[in-house]
Amino acid sequence: MKEKILQTLQDLRQYALSKNYEVTLSYHEEDSYLMRFANSAISLNTNEHLIRLEITAYQDKKRASYELITDLNKLDEMKAGIDTAADMVQYAQPLNYQPTIPIYEASYEDDSAFDINLAEMSSEDKLEFINQAVDGLETDKIKLSGIFSSGANTFALINTRSPHTLYFKSSDAQITLVLAHETLKWEVTAEQSAWNKSNLEAENLHNELAYLIDRYENDQPQQLPLGTYDVVFGPAATAEMISFMNWIAFDGGLMKRGFSFMKEEQIGEKTLSTQFTLSDDAAHLDTFPFKRDLMGLERDKTQLFKEGVFKGFIWSQDDADEFNQIATGHTVPHKSLVVEPGNMEINIIQELASKPRDKDILYVPFLHYMNIVNPSKGIVTGSSRFGALLLKKDGSIIVPYNVRLTHSLLDIFGDKIAWLSNERVAYNVSNSYGARNPTAIIVPKFMKVNDLEISHSNDSY
Amino acid sequence: MRDNLKQQIERLKAQNATYVDVRWYPYEETNYLLMWNGNLKSTVAAKESGIGVRVLYQGAWGFSASSDLSNLSAVFDKAFENAKAAAERVTFPVRLAEKDSIVARFDSPVLSNPFDISLEEKVSFLRDLDAKLNQTNVFQRQSDLNFVRKQIIFLDSEGSEIEKNIQEVFSSIAVTGLDEEGNMHDRKFILPRQGSSRGWESIDRDLFNENADRIVKELNQMLKADQCPKDDRSVILLPGIMYLQTHETIGHALELDRILGYELAYAGGSFVTLDDFGTLRYGSEKLTARADATLINSPGSFGFDDDGVEAQNNLLIDKGILVGAITGRQMVEEANAKAKREIFSGSSGANRATAFYRVPIERMTNINIDPGSDGTLEDIIKNTEKGIVLDGDRSWSIGSNREQFHFGTEMGWLVEDGEITDVVKNPTYRGSTVKFWNSLTAVGDESTWRVHFVDNCGKGQPNQIMQLGHGIPVCRFDNVRIGE
Repeated sequence: MKEKILQTLQDLRQYALSKNYEVTLSYHEEDSYLMRFANSAISLNTNEHLIRLEITAYQDKKRASYELITDLNKLDEMKAGIDTAADMVQYAQPLNYQPTIPIYEASYEDDSAFDINLAEMSSEDKLEFINQAVDGLETDKIKLSGIFSSGANTFALINTRSPHTLYFKSSDAQITLVLAHETLKWEVTAEQSAWNKSNLEAENLHNELAYLIDRYENDQPQQLPLGTYDVVFGPAATAEMISFMNWIAFDGGLMKRGFSFMKEEQIGEKTLSTQFTLSDDAAHLDTFPFKRDLMGLERDKTQLFKEGVFKGFIWSQDDADEFNQIATGHTVPHKSLVVEPGNMEINIIQELASKPRDKDILYVPFLHYMNIVNPSKGIVTGSSRFGALLLKKDGSIIVPYNVRLTHSLLDIFGDKIAWLSNERVAYNVSNSYGARNPTAIIVPKFMKVNDLEISHSNDSY
Repeated sequence: MRDNLKQQIERLKAQNATYVDVRWYPYEETNYLLMWNGNLKSTVAAKESGIGVRVLYQGAWGFSASSDLSNLSAVFDKAFENAKAAAERVTFPVRLAEKDSIVARFDSPVLSNPFDISLEEKVSFLRDLDAKLNQTNVFQRQSDLNFVRKQIIFLDSEGSEIEKNIQEVFSSIAVTGLDEEGNMHDRKFILPRQGSSRGWESIDRDLFNENADRIVKELNQMLKADQCPKDDRSVILLPGIMYLQTHETIGHALELDRILGYELAYAGGSFVTLDDFGTLRYGSEKLTARADATLINSPGSFGFDDDGVEAQNNLLIDKGILVGAITGRQMVEEANAKAKREIFSGSSGANRATAFYRVPIERMTNINIDPGSDGTLEDIIKNTEKGIVLDGDRSWSIGSNREQFHFGTEMGWLVEDGEITDVVKNPTYRGSTVKFWNSLTAVGDESTWRVHFVDNCGKGQPNQIMQLGHGIPVCRFDNVRIGE
């Protein structure tokens, strides 16, 4: 298949050259499978095989794109798409900067994060995995929801400046299991991300769910008083906040457009906790990495914050062109964000719950529906969900109703950080809007942040 | 093609499939243009076609989709195979509410086809708007045009054959400025419903120019404004935020699949239970809400849903009491069975898919609030002792069961003793859903009622984006926490 994809791109390139067009061609193929669970049944079992071709035509400072869902047997349709893009670009308005068309100096292929066993995992095998993970945990009232999403993702690029191609192929799985009480409405979750079938571990999911269910079944939920708490975030919550940082912290283009809480003059300054180091590092296969960006640039490790010091902004090619900067290899469908671990030997919820403490700790594994309240100050808001616990200083544990936290990311990742776990996990933050784009962020398993205020506390679920 | 699809449906029926339907998209085309600070950043056209096949077998759904129509039987077989695998874990076998077999056609009301308008003219429109927005203190300026047209052929094993020709027009302008401290503020205008058709005729230059001046003026007021105070006040929501309040805390909360737990793994559930229908006081007596898919000229009006059920106008909340939900054929059967009473007499015709490659799920149509009898916006302000007028969505975050919320708005105007006093920046408000709607003390009349379009409502796994509308008046809610 790879040969057919690359040959098709070469054929299309020749067609464009024969018409004196200047174009870039981006091929994306997904084979997506999603088994969805609700009320302890498989509520949907679906698959989509889709091939997308994005054609961008250039004419000096003008640019226009035509995208189509097609298949490899429709060469004429793809050629017609090239004609359409070339026609559109004539009527586009020139940009006030010169957009860069990459010149690939050599072809590049990477399928190091592709595992055919995961990509082609059968429905029967997925169901068996899920059954193992929730074995004995469902009851008449406690029902399973969740997804087993898996698939293969292929990107291939070529343009009229060079005959060389880029080719990327990866496999991925995102597993979310939720056990929810049908009438009491509490819900607990366990999740896993994988690029390789052998990474799948039903037992870990089972253990986490079993522990949380034991708490939630046997403890009466309570409304927490408003006030300040020491909070331990789970990997889902931490990864979600890093996702927002990806958007409003270090993206150069968004900073130039005023949509960032970091400023250019802060480069080199300590702005966050010395315990916080964040990089973009494509060496981690768990992040479904692009080791080259779509412009062909090698993606070396980029430090974003090192021990709290802001190391600088990243620049996609288009933003670099517009704002007269140097592209940093970040013209990619997703980055490979990695938070360095700390030194606290607490890596599973049971260890956290049993650790002696001199103050109550609010455990927030997941933040639901986060959003940006004020990008200039990095203020975000979201509600706890999926298995929050109040770990009392006397060793007892209370199940709290959900609470809302509204804080600046500068505070959360600032000097209020008490500790980070010494082990990490890849948390899958993929969504399935549009084309498949598996994305994961590597974060410490727990992060403790002191003195965070909860601004709203539910009196029920 | 239609005959081939019918043959495939019959073939699976002969193999004991309970129900089969197919949505064939001969085409779906989009055209999107974005002008940002004078740069035409996006000039994108797109086209896709394909089929999505849904098969019900032994109480379980299977779905498959492909853009490759050269081997139809393979797509149908894959959907059937997926259903058979799903049938291995069934707890409540899927049943579909009765419906009529329908042979029909729906066409969006369009006078001037936007796809017949030249790219030059569209670019010219954006270029002129960009120049108009390029005023003092405007740091960033954006304007966009988004056109969609699609043909959908729906066929099912119950004899329905429906053709839909849908067209959509979305457009907006936005400006951003930085205050003295370097904090960004924004103001935008989203094209609401214009008249009774939605073609290129919706793109009214005078309307955009008028609103361009307004949002730039308001942005400049905001840049000099004080911070919104932390306080408890009456909030008067203009349509630019009232639509979102309705969307998030009535619309999503009343999707029957959420109520039945089908979205727990992702979007969340609902605080509403089946016992609540007919009894829950959702809001004050001034609140009457409906799901009206028959409203002329809105993306929430589509003729027939993707179950093949005709569009309807149903009450959701009647004078404050919860009476209805947003439903498709599957969920009403399950809800009635679980409630052991007939809550729903049939599907409300709200099962929709975003594309041929997604399965239909319960989606909002036009979730509207009926206009009230509390007069104009000016009347409501005049009758407010201590309040704040809010407009423009900036940030929204809602609890997983839609039980509480936090909204940030673009702009706020303080009200003291019946008069607007100061503009404030960074306004926010929060509340608990039922308490909030029960604090509804004023509903504006017809003069305040607007139909606001939403082009980006997300839900489901695999994720889907849907387009819809909200017809909403100006509303006032008392004793609401603001400024956090």
